[in-house]
Amino acid sequence: MSDVSRRRFLKLGACVVGGACATDALPSLAQAAEGDDITTLRTTLPYPRVQLASIGQLTIGREQLTTYPDQASPVVLVKLGRPAINGVGPERDIVAFSRRCSHMGGTLNFRQGTGTLHCPLHYAMFDAQKGGLLVIGQATDNLPQLELEVDAAGNVFAVGISGLLYGRQANILPNSGTV
Amino acid sequence: MSSIYHGEDRVPVPPADAQQFTTVCSYCIVGCGYKVYKWPLGKEGGPLPHQNALRADYRTQQPEQAGTWIAPAMHSVVTERSGQRFNIVVMPDKDCVVNKGNHSIRGGTHGDVLYAPDRPTADRLTHPLLYRGHSRLPTTWNEAIELGARVIKATLDTWGPDAIAMKCFDHGGGGGGFENNWAVGSFFFTGIGTKMASIHNRPAYNSEVFASGDAGIAPLPSAYLDAKLADTIVLVGANSYETQSIYFLEHMLPNLGGGTLPLKQQVLPAEPHARGRMIIVDPRRTSTVAVAEAHAGKDNVLHLQINNGTDIALLNALSRLIHEQGWHDQGFIDRRTNNFSAFQQANLAQSLDEAVQLTGISKAQMMQAAQWIAKPKASAARRRTLFLYEKGLIWGLKNYENVASVVDLALLTGNLGKPGTGCSRLGGHQEGYSRPGYPGQRPPVNVDDVAIKGGASKVFWVAGCNPVGGTLNAQHFRAALAQRTALVNQALDATNSGSLDDKVAAVMSALDKGGLFLIVQDIYPTETAQDAHLVLPAAQWGEMNLTSINGERRLRLYQKFMDAPGIAEPDWKIMARMAQRLESLYRAEGKTEMAARFSGFTWTSDEDVFRAAAAGVKGAQEDYGDTTYAMLKALGTNGVQTPVQEMKNGMPVGTTRLYMDETRFTFIPAAWPGFPSQIQALMNDPRYPFWVNNGRANHGWQTLYDDARKPYVIGREPFPHVEIHPKDAQRLDIASGDLIELFNPYGSVSAMAVVTDSNAPGHVFMLFEHPKGWLNSLTTDYVDPATTIPYYKGTKAGIRKIGTLSGVNGQLTFIPMNQA
Ligand code: SF4
Ligand code: FES
Repeated sequence: MSDVSRRRFLKLGACVVGGACATDALPSLAQAAEGDDITTLRTTLPYPRVQLASIGQLTIGREQLTTYPDQASPVVLVKLGRPAINGVGPERDIVAFSRRCSHMGGTLNFRQGTGTLHCPLHYAMFDAQKGGLLVIGQATDNLPQLELEVDAAGNVFAVGISGLLYGRQANILPNSGTV
Repeated sequence: MSSIYHGEDRVPVPPADAQQFTTVCSYCIVGCGYKVYKWPLGKEGGPLPHQNALRADYRTQQPEQAGTWIAPAMHSVVTERSGQRFNIVVMPDKDCVVNKGNHSIRGGTHGDVLYAPDRPTADRLTHPLLYRGHSRLPTTWNEAIELGARVIKATLDTWGPDAIAMKCFDHGGGGGGFENNWAVGSFFFTGIGTKMASIHNRPAYNSEVFASGDAGIAPLPSAYLDAKLADTIVLVGANSYETQSIYFLEHMLPNLGGGTLPLKQQVLPAEPHARGRMIIVDPRRTSTVAVAEAHAGKDNVLHLQINNGTDIALLNALSRLIHEQGWHDQGFIDRRTNNFSAFQQANLAQSLDEAVQLTGISKAQMMQAAQWIAKPKASAARRRTLFLYEKGLIWGLKNYENVASVVDLALLTGNLGKPGTGCSRLGGHQEGYSRPGYPGQRPPVNVDDVAIKGGASKVFWVAGCNPVGGTLNAQHFRAALAQRTALVNQALDATNSGSLDDKVAAVMSALDKGGLFLIVQDIYPTETAQDAHLVLPAAQWGEMNLTSINGERRLRLYQKFMDAPGIAEPDWKIMARMAQRLESLYRAEGKTEMAARFSGFTWTSDEDVFRAAAAGVKGAQEDYGDTTYAMLKALGTNGVQTPVQEMKNGMPVGTTRLYMDETRFTFIPAAWPGFPSQIQALMNDPRYPFWVNNGRANHGWQTLYDDARKPYVIGREPFPHVEIHPKDAQRLDIASGDLIELFNPYGSVSAMAVVTDSNAPGHVFMLFEHPKGWLNSLTTDYVDPATTIPYYKGTKAGIRKIGTLSGVNGQLTFIPMNQA
């Protein structure tokens, strides 16, 4: 599970910059960790820490398909070859995203040349270098981006997700046993 | 971390007992159906189907396009006048036949723009503001109406009705509807009687499709069903993936992909069918072109990348080719049209060589388009072609002939009043027009020139629009507005007695010296309101009941689901308040005739105005007859397509498609007119080498009035963008993200460059409206003399690089939008 105080900092920081703070702190449907401060966080979800890759195996532009935080959530991890928002690794170019389109859930394909993710349903396009920003299309938010960490041995871990996964009320499914 | 995103990783779901409302998107003409859920803060539905209002099982991943996913932008927490706080979710309705649960980025972000005192919408206008002490300060409705009524009355009495000018919304959807339009029209036309009226971003009071009306064709004759049945869809001057998104995605694309073949065979069994084809007339390779090609295959999409302003030459050349090949519909021309010979002399005389040279389209491409439009199918069945046009044509070189030339092409090929055919504008806003008749003549007076810059009017009432950026030649308009309103400011600043009489006297003396008293009625403190003396806070969509039609005339009730902020009121109520005060002022003076003009504003509910407005649409495409709110409530997001034919079992019976009868139409002659002198002067001046085309973008709506409060939208476009060709960019040392200046004799503006080959070299495209850079500073003062509609889409400018804004570009994406 990721470090709660770090996550709190990230969420609240983004909230101030973006200017769209919802102040409704509601108890999570998921099995949130106990603790007083938890209910004041925008995120109370218990994300698992899962190793997705190790840096040595990654080739620039070649995407790896896997799942996170559970098997029903396909994700793509890619080393872009240029620094990216929230990128990790020595070149800050390793990023990972949900593969479910944040419009209506189409399954996205990665295109190496432009570093974009494309949806075959209604042709949304997302920029992997820019935090999953919508280039064009009908989605109303970025593509959910995985929060990644790299350990001393060069292993890449997913520790959380910013943005709501398509088709979920919360990124961690209730009773899904991934805690 | 990128600042441009919502970032929430969970949303609350509505509990099973949440209040439910139906409504329609507040934005574009397509009118997608929406459902609204409302429940008290502190409560939340559970993950099991019986625990939430969507009856979804949130323990499992919802499948794609399930219609049960609440995106963070669809949710908000609002505070009502009682102080009570509620969760609200506004989400697309999967039972609506228009969108089937689909939505665009515009409609899908309604949660972000509900008024909430702790979100970016906190700057909504909550109270009337009055110019006082060189500021605009809160006041009561009573004082605001009293001062406004006294100034209006004194002006009317001194200088007559044309001394009162207005520029108001006239549309449906958010900020409009039959209710508000009827009240505005009753006030200005029945009450004041002014000819100095104009419509939101235009300089005059006009239809945008006078030529279609003169031909006998209502603006919206077709049904969205026709896009599923057509053999060929022709888009002229429309970027529908971005501006009629769900019409394009849910009704046009399935046809291009072959998905509607079973429907075609079922509805039209007597003729051969293939997947639909699409012709797109646009100077720019838009995302619409890219998406259509990706979906239909390049062989089924023809992009005619014409030179700016040359539509008439192209459309007439197509008419000529079709006529020469004998592919026209002689039976239809004989039976259902008049005036063919005038069309023959004007339109069919278009020289093909001249058309090629003007448009930049080859003869071969023209011939291919002619075939796709009109070459009969196997077994000699006529092709069914649906012509859809919008601002690229309407706001093109010469509004009247531009529209006439596409209407004539539709008549020549018999494409009206049959399934899979039509000749319709696509529309920008939804429609909800109902007003007493405009007292002026055709062509209508240019209010910007005569009333505001020319000084003929003394009071200017602006409602639901932002003309300092939205009107043509806007830099000059801004300067005139600032200069004339400042005279009133100075007079008011010099009045320290606190008496209303003194204030009115001060205003009147300033008006006499060329001053302008400015009333702005809006939901936000717009840029135009920065010059206002009186600012009136209006309610928006969701804060009153309203009704409107979409692009296939689908009438629905948009239910009220929350309070307006502060003491803001629906526009119809504001107009009624002002009218009632004027009535009593005139009555007190014994002027019964004047008092009578302002009587009748006695409605007590939204539905009262809706019923009154039925008088204004009698016999029109909008005619809703005896329809009531209760009927519309029962019909939900599918509503009824106007005109309403009759009542059956207490419910209205509508009309799917117009002109299935033997209605006769009239050809409107339209010859290539050449460029007007203002444009020619720019064309001849090497200092202004770039053609500046312009338009909307997918993520933005109109002046961005709501989008400026949607962090995900304004964050990605902090400044307006300009698409510039790589060759031009290289020559001017411009990279994507650079701030550039565009300039010409009419004004200048700064914008952010996006280097892309979407336009030909020498042509750029700029976002039409953005509060941090108004394209209209560059448009000329030219209007079509026949209609007083500007040539917004074409001007010329010089471009220079200003520099780079550090800290901005890293957050933004500059990947060209026209790939799919
Ligand atoms: S397509 Fe138009 S009506 Fe539909 S959601 Fe988008 S803006 Fe609203
Ligand atoms: S689901 Fe991806 S664009 Fe609609």
